[in-house]
Amino acid sequence: MSVYSVIFYAVSVVIVTATALAITQRNPIHAVVYLVVSFLGSGILFFLLGAPFLAAVEVIIYAGAIMVLFLFVVMMFRIEKVEPKGYPRLQWGPALLCGALFLSLLSLAAFRDPMGRAILETFVVSPADLGRWVFQKYWLSIEGISLLLFLALLAAIHLGRVPREKAREEE
Amino acid sequence: MIVPYSHVLVLAAVTFVLGLVCILARRNLVMTLIGIEVMMNGAAIAFIASGLRWHQLEGQAFVLFIIGVAAAEVSVGLALIIGAYRRVGSADSDTYSILKG
Amino acid sequence: MVATPSHDWTLLASVLAVLPPFLSFVTIVLFTRPYPRLSAGLSITAVSFSVMSALMLLLVQGTKGPETYMGTWLISSDVRIPLGFLLDPVSLLMLSIVAVISLLVQVYSVGYMAGDPGFSRYYAFQSLFAGAMLSLSISPSMIQLYVFWELVGLSSYLLIGFWYEKFSATEAGKKAFVMTRLGDICLFLGVLLVLINLGNLNIQELNNPAVAQRLSPGLITLCALLIFGGIVGKSAQFPLLTWLPDAMEGPTPVSALLHSATMVAAGAFLFARLFPFMSLSPTALTVFLTIGTITMVMASTMAVVDRDIKKVWAYSTISQLGYMIMGMGAGGYFAGFFHLTTHAAFKSLLFLCSGVWIHYYETNDLFDIASRQGRRFKIPIICLVLAAASLSGIPPLSGFFSKETVLDALAEGHSPVWLGLGLVGAFFTSYYSFRVVFILLFPKGTEEAHYAHRNSSIPSSEEKGSYWVMAVPLLVLAAIVLVLGFFKRTLTDFLAGPPVPSGRGWIFYASMAFVLCGLGLAWFEFGRKGAGQVGAFEKVRPLRLLFANRWYLDHFYRLLLRVVVYKTFAYLAIRNDRQVIDSGLDAFCGTTVESGRMLSRLQSGLVRNNFLLAFVALALLGLWFYFL
Repeated sequence: MSVYSVIFYAVSVVIVTATALAITQRNPIHAVVYLVVSFLGSGILFFLLGAPFLAAVEVIIYAGAIMVLFLFVVMMFRIEKVEPKGYPRLQWGPALLCGALFLSLLSLAAFRDPMGRAILETFVVSPADLGRWVFQKYWLSIEGISLLLFLALLAAIHLGRVPREKAREEE
Repeated sequence: MIVPYSHVLVLAAVTFVLGLVCILARRNLVMTLIGIEVMMNGAAIAFIASGLRWHQLEGQAFVLFIIGVAAAEVSVGLALIIGAYRRVGSADSDTYSILKG
Repeated sequence: MVATPSHDWTLLASVLAVLPPFLSFVTIVLFTRPYPRLSAGLSITAVSFSVMSALMLLLVQGTKGPETYMGTWLISSDVRIPLGFLLDPVSLLMLSIVAVISLLVQVYSVGYMAGDPGFSRYYAFQSLFAGAMLSLSISPSMIQLYVFWELVGLSSYLLIGFWYEKFSATEAGKKAFVMTRLGDICLFLGVLLVLINLGNLNIQELNNPAVAQRLSPGLITLCALLIFGGIVGKSAQFPLLTWLPDAMEGPTPVSALLHSATMVAAGAFLFARLFPFMSLSPTALTVFLTIGTITMVMASTMAVVDRDIKKVWAYSTISQLGYMIMGMGAGGYFAGFFHLTTHAAFKSLLFLCSGVWIHYYETNDLFDIASRQGRRFKIPIICLVLAAASLSGIPPLSGFFSKETVLDALAEGHSPVWLGLGLVGAFFTSYYSFRVVFILLFPKGTEEAHYAHRNSSIPSSEEKGSYWVMAVPLLVLAAIVLVLGFFKRTLTDFLAGPPVPSGRGWIFYASMAFVLCGLGLAWFEFGRKGAGQVGAFEKVRPLRLLFANRWYLDHFYRLLLRVVVYKTFAYLAIRNDRQVIDSGLDAFCGTTVESGRMLSRLQSGLVRNNFLLAFVALALLGLWFYFL
């Protein structure tokens, strides 16, 4: 029972609670904020599991860019609260059942496998080592990802543009 | 000495399932996208833990790619939501039911 | 059978007797439909060939022993079904009768059917009938006989419904076909039974007692009764007799040929043909005797009250056929067959004479014809009186001789009932024939008589040709009627019939008494001056209704049809069709459509439901692959 396990359990509680709260909020903005907390917790977890670079990337990009993008869109286009108050059984019932099914399956798989009994050792991978290794071995995927990001940029610009007639009206 | 590998996997599973429930239970389109993000986060946790267990760097490399893909996908998804919201006037997925029956 | 040179000409003659009418039928149907005179000429030429061959065969071959020509038609394991000709006295006599009367009727039809739009079609069917009937007469095996039996039934249907625009004619044709079909089913069953048990349908072998007795007596009786079923249908015996009066819808020459002389006589001919086989079973013969007697008495009562001249002769035909069957059933095979021969002559003569009046006056009603002075047509009226006298059995006409022979055969039986009923039948016969004669000879009703006297006339000069075309066959037949009786001795030797028993003189006096009673009653009621022209039987209302409604047989059949066929079978079939088949199919289709509709409701149109399904499927797959 070392320090690291305590930290791990605490962080996992944070992640789970924050995520659970995030998914049950009516207001999307509240949900986003809770989710930021969850991602911060994920970042700490990654740090614990020996990936400092990824922890940084998670916080900067995931929590810092993506969630902020969500906030921009929700606030600018005034996407309202859509759902009614309370949690309708017809909506949440099947979802919770499916989730329970999945969870039981996955945890069963995790606990029954003899591979799972191994205890994780602390280890730290320096960013330089990670970078060198990725760019040497998986340079093609890096190129692919960059192309993907470029295309996503194009798509977002095109899909988000205002139709010409409306633009003229707004002017 | 941190924790047994299976515990981390269970954490990843719980996160994944929470994302799944979010997708299945929420009507707001934005919440659907948030659910997807949560699922990807869960997958990333699982990958990093696996990389640590087997002392291979592929786990971490893949998380890099996951985050990259998540970014691309969120931007396109939000652009689509904006387009749909402009046309239909509502972000409720229940209004998008022309294929009913 | 190898044909040696001395037999060659008989084979040729047989083929020549049978084939030309079929060829003429085919030619008329295919080629000469637009040329009526050519068709008539073709048909009459073909039948003349048949007549010449038949008479030659009769005179030359008949004195020698029976001759057979057979080729094999079907072989199936140990069953050989032959095709060919059987030339023995019975078949040759029948052949000649059919050929001669066909020729006379076809010549007569030139005048009768003149101007009819279906002239060629009529001669085509006449040829078909002639060919079929001639082949039937000289068939050596039951199968060939059955084939031509059916063919003859077909021509009868075609000719009865000849004027098919008249609904009653088509109905009559259908009725005839269906009723004779019932008889034919029994006949076919009998033939099949014989085939199964004997392996052989050769008529000569059937008639051979040594061969036929291989069957058990019960089986012989059953086969005989079944074959008699066919005879009941074809010869209009009780209970299948109501089709024959309705068959009078056809043209009069058709009635003369088919429904008096030849086709209906085919039944009696079959009886004579298979007489040795049938006589092996005394039970069967008694049954036949009973049915023949019932028919004879029933039909002669029906003839007593009818006003339609053709119907009277139709009932008379049924009655006389019953008389023939009676004779043969009592063991007098020659008696029945001799009566068949004489009956063919005088009955066809009766029909043809009536046809002259029907052609000129276009009415079938007795009193109508009489009041229009039908007696002014000299040749028809004289021939009618002659034929009616022969029918009643007045000596020295041919009918007298044949009737006497039948009564002799009946007298030889065990019980006097049959003879008594035969004499009663003779009374009725002479009563109804002379009723017709006296009505036509002495028409009553003063004003109509004078009026008709002025307006009716012997045919004008342009019609003289058609009148003589009709009159000449009448004269020929009258000659035959006069003369045939004196050939009784010759025919007895020819057909190897039993010797005429002597010492039965009392039968002659008894029968003459009954006949003269009938004649006298008819004279009293119809002939003498001041007679009421209403018969004794017609005055008694229940009797008149009974006789006029054909002893309610038609009503019985209609009831049977309504209850058994329409109410039960047809009703059940319709119910099955509607409720089982139709609604079964409808239910099946409906279920398919409804289940499709239900399945389509699964599509809620909401994306999150699709997600749900996808993830549940994924979970189950994972379960399957990981744990199982």
